[in-house]
Amino acid sequence: MSDFVFATAQYESGDWDSAPLVPANIIDTIARYTSIDVAPSGVIVPLSSPALFRYPLVYLTGHLPVRFAPSERTNLQRYAERGGLLFVDDHNHDIDGVFHKTATEELSRTFGIPKPLAKTHPLYTSFFHFDDGPPTTSHELNGWGDNLVHTTLSGVERSGRLVLLYSSKDYSSEWNYHPENKRFLSVDNTKFAVNIVVYALTR
Amino acid sequence: MPSPAERRRIGEWVLRAALLVVLGVALWRSLEPEVASRTSRTTSTSAMMRDLASFAASARVSSVNLAVDATPTRAERDALIALRRNGVAVRWSGSPPPLALELTRAREPEARARLHVTGGGAQTIALVDSAGLLDTVRAGSGATIDAASIVGDVRAQQGPFAASAHAPDQEARRAVLVLGRADWETKFVMRALNEAGWMVRARIPAAPNVDVRDAGILPLDTARYDVVVALDSSAADMASAIVRFVAEGGGLVAAGDALEIGQLGRLAPARAGERRPGRILLADDSVTPRDLPVRPLTLARSDAVTLQREQQGVTLVARRAGLGRVLAIGYDESWRWRMLGGVSGPAAHREWWSSEVGAVAPAREASMLSTGDAAPLAALMAALGQPSPAEVTRSQPTRDSLPIVLLIIASACLLAEIASRRFRGAP
Repeated sequence: MSDFVFATAQYESGDWDSAPLVPANIIDTIARYTSIDVAPSGVIVPLSSPALFRYPLVYLTGHLPVRFAPSERTNLQRYAERGGLLFVDDHNHDIDGVFHKTATEELSRTFGIPKPLAKTHPLYTSFFHFDDGPPTTSHELNGWGDNLVHTTLSGVERSGRLVLLYSSKDYSSEWNYHPENKRFLSVDNTKFAVNIVVYALTR
Repeated sequence: MPSPAERRRIGEWVLRAALLVVLGVALWRSLEPEVASRTSRTTSTSAMMRDLASFAASARVSSVNLAVDATPTRAERDALIALRRNGVAVRWSGSPPPLALELTRAREPEARARLHVTGGGAQTIALVDSAGLLDTVRAGSGATIDAASIVGDVRAQQGPFAASAHAPDQEARRAVLVLGRADWETKFVMRALNEAGWMVRARIPAAPNVDVRDAGILPLDTARYDVVVALDSSAADMASAIVRFVAEGGGLVAAGDALEIGQLGRLAPARAGERRPGRILLADDSVTPRDLPVRPLTLARSDAVTLQREQQGVTLVARRAGLGRVLAIGYDESWRWRMLGGVSGPAAHREWWSSEVGAVAPAREASMLSTGDAAPLAALMAALGQPSPAEVTRSQPTRDSLPIVLLIIASACLLAEIASRRFRGAP
């Protein structure tokens, strides 16, 4: 059996590497709370590469406009058909921002139009229980970005499982710190990442 | 001393008496029941049903020679058997092809029908169901064909000869319990079985004392489950329940570290060896099972049967245990087959897992075998024995010469009596 490897998507347009500390932080969280065998470091996988299919959960973020190359779009469609889950987070936390507008357009062309996930979605109870839906981020509460608290995530499902999870909550900023600094937090704000990983591994 | 005239009258009386005797014999023969004359009849399969009625009605038929120019139906064979038991010698000749057809269904929720056909030499056999042609094969040494759907009976036809069989109904399957840690293998095994129509329940430990599980997975018994799939050592705490489940007729598929669990190890047909990495893939390569990492299996029981072997070692071993069956799998990370197996990867991975789980699932119905006229030549031989040449002499009904003889004698007596009276001048 192989370890779980956290993979970050590299795409041809935009700034795919805008949250470089997120992988290490999530890996730390997975190791801290679960018995999942997790690789100590993440990988970067180009969306157009066949290597994408080695990582059934891939994280994608950025601030800048997103335009998928045809090979990236085709690869992502096959990835979804075979059982992969793409987790996309808007690093701008701004629904008027260029990332949100272009990414949702591209993702709609690739997967279909994302729809809001109900608070009862299994994602919110796959490990920790988030009865109020997705946890808020400090960026939302501080009024940054679009000055909105987004109460839901959105996604595209096939055969009862998510193939695309889209977040406007800017978890990329929220989780983009060195794992050592978790000790300064009264409440670990990366717990929801465990739910995403456990959901991907069990659904 | 009688005079010549008296002798003539006496002679005339004798002739009249002889005439009366002849007429009496003729009358007696006409009133006597017809005496059977034993005959032999020849017919062919295509004309048999028309002829059999007359053969059965006639007591004169002593033997029937059947020229087999088409497959006799079960009813026709039964009629011939009835004739034979009624004292009629039944022989048959011809060279029908040794066609045989069997239909089976795997123990899977959406099982395709599998047609096993043999016979026919180099000739083409047409496989036909009630809706039309399914396929054509040359099956001198046997052929197997999968059919997604079958309408009514299936016939394997070669010219006028045919074997037929009826597809067994699909069985209602019970749930499969998947036990494995939270990793890609567990996820994609569940996904494959789910897509194949199995009702999948799972218990997936994600942290100490934290399981991701379906509600109410216990008790583990054959009334609720068909098969348990144990993918790693996380099944250890349920080992005794699994052993009992298999003894009662349930199936077990075990892979990797699950084969090392104490109680399951005593049940398992094989042990898993050290992991050997799969083939290194180039950019556009597609993964097939032979490219997967393998933990080669070593047979642990004398009754274990090796089912599959790759270059890196044995990958599938099975055995019966109690009323159930156990299958050991040596592939590691079969999920890579689905994700990296190209366009056909997901379907191939799904069908493989469904097939392996179905292989150890218990048979719920009394019989999984199909019915029909599956081997008509064998049935014909069982009913009538080996073929034999037809009787060369084709016997005709014998003519009865007695009426002619009686007619001649009566005519002679009458003419002699009339002539005698004319010569002596009597009226």
